[in-house]
Amino acid sequence: MDQFIVQLVNGLVLGGIYALIAVGYTMVYGIIQLINFAHGEIFMFGAYFAFVLVTVFGLPFWVALPVSMLLCALLGVLIDVVAYRPLRNAPRLSALITAIGISLALQNLARLIWSASQQSFPDESKPKIFISDIDVQTGAIINAIPLPGGAILPYRDVFILLLAVVLMIGLNRLIYLTKIGKAMRACAENQTAANLMGINTNMVISVTFAIGSALGAVAGVMVGLREVIEPTMGYYKGVAAFAAAVLGGIGNITGAMVGGIVIGIAETFGADIHSGYRLAFAYVIMILVILIRPSGLFGKSTSKRA
Amino acid sequence: MRDKLTPKNIGISLIILLVPAFMYLIDAFALYVSSNYGVMLPLPSGDYILRIIVQAGVYILLAVGLNIVCGDTGLLDLGYAGFYLIGGYTAGLLMARLGFSYWIALPLAVLNGALWGLLRGIPTLRLTGDYFAIVTFGFAELLVQVVKNEIWLIGGPNGFVNNIPPVTIFGIELFQNWHHYYHILILILLTVFITYRLKESRVGRAWTAIREDEQAAESMGINLSRYKSLAFAVSAAVGALGGGFIAQFQVNISAKLFDFWESIFILCMVVLGGTGSIRGSIIGAAILATLGELLRGGNILPSEFGGARYLIFGVILIVIMRFRPSGLAVKKA
Repeated sequence: MDQFIVQLVNGLVLGGIYALIAVGYTMVYGIIQLINFAHGEIFMFGAYFAFVLVTVFGLPFWVALPVSMLLCALLGVLIDVVAYRPLRNAPRLSALITAIGISLALQNLARLIWSASQQSFPDESKPKIFISDIDVQTGAIINAIPLPGGAILPYRDVFILLLAVVLMIGLNRLIYLTKIGKAMRACAENQTAANLMGINTNMVISVTFAIGSALGAVAGVMVGLREVIEPTMGYYKGVAAFAAAVLGGIGNITGAMVGGIVIGIAETFGADIHSGYRLAFAYVIMILVILIRPSGLFGKSTSKRA
Repeated sequence: MRDKLTPKNIGISLIILLVPAFMYLIDAFALYVSSNYGVMLPLPSGDYILRIIVQAGVYILLAVGLNIVCGDTGLLDLGYAGFYLIGGYTAGLLMARLGFSYWIALPLAVLNGALWGLLRGIPTLRLTGDYFAIVTFGFAELLVQVVKNEIWLIGGPNGFVNNIPPVTIFGIELFQNWHHYYHILILILLTVFITYRLKESRVGRAWTAIREDEQAAESMGINLSRYKSLAFAVSAAVGALGGGFIAQFQVNISAKLFDFWESIFILCMVVLGGTGSIRGSIIGAAILATLGELLRGGNILPSEFGGARYLIFGVILIVIMRFRPSGLAVKKA
């Protein structure tokens, strides 16, 4: 039981991270029906940007995080403008192949720049509150909440979960309460009609990429805090997050959040059963959802798009 | 487009047939010069080049096979390396662990590939576009996970199968690179012949109709399920054939050989050459396989830049899609 609670908490935190990434996939898919394969790589670059800002430029963590978000937003918009926009009217598979090309290129670019080895934020660069420990002599718990069974829940993980929830709520408000959110929903509904109503669709799509990428960057930095930074992280975490987006119903933002949590928990408990198959659970869920209920948990079943 | 016995075609055929002889001539010449005159000629090893050509041949085979699903039926297969894996492990395990002869293991590998092609194909029949692509991707990734984890089946961690015995024919072991060369040449010719005949037949026309418009094809009386399944099975069988060959060619195989990026690499070849064209797939595979080998760390680039070739492949995909979506070898429509 104790173990169960610990794993549940771990799963929730991982799920929060997946949800942040999944939103990026689902927002872009909702508007231009493109699986943005490169999104995982943007997430990975988010982690590396923050890492470089902290280690090379010596910026404090709380400055590096927003700057990394901004850089990733720019990267996302750049990818859209350079690679996807010219293919707007091309067959959808062309855009998908382009997305895979970008993913391949960015992943190996990162490998060239930062080498394939694993990096992590040096301890002195992390905010003090994120360094949790149990004092060996006194048994005092530092910067963490005690969990049953002697385990601890670091403040870092609490922060990640809270941040994910806050950002999700913020995103939800943005989409339902602001003008740009309304424009995004209009574009998702019918791009041509939105365009005719005077909405600058290209701008809206760019904003979508920017928001999705910035959230991906947050997730990247959080993973950097919890685990390690490496060029393949975008691929592995990206696929799991994509599975989350599919599970929630691709194009559906609430679905992405719930899907992220479910995949996170499934992965954590799955790794308990068989650690070698850690990644396989996400793949299985993804395939089953597509075969059984392609619209996902929350998606409306739509007529086939050509 | 029926090929005739023109002098040009005969010439090309002769050149293809004599490649190994030429490569060994290079080696013999270099050896002669160095032993008689004491000068080391700056010539690449012919035997090594031959090995690269064989490797490229495997990719040609795979690209032609992938092209059946991607080009002919217009579905994006992101998990083709899965069938390559199935072929490789079926043949590899049968030969290395159960002592089967290659001549029995290879057909079994091909059959197993076709079976898995159907198994994957039937549930995905009604999927189109991205959803099909995702399922194929997930399927191949799952296979890689299984091979990495089921040590009782594979015999080693990370999918290592070691010491796959060489092929024997009439008691002669086929382990030299020129053996492999003719071996893969025969497999390629066979595959190209079969896919070419299929394309020009009723089946090929049905595939084209499905690619152009599924609903129209169905209303013309084409049995979608049957023809799509056939495409999946044939394509998967070719992938498994490539896997069966690579198992004995590489002697040791591991899961790394068949990962997701391998699928993308093969897809890149098909896209570069031009989806839907057998000739395009062959040309694309030949270009990229050679390029991939040249750019492997240590040849032209320093070894720490070995990963750069994937960067280049990524850029190729982007540029081709942007400027020449129909591919290099196909005339602009």
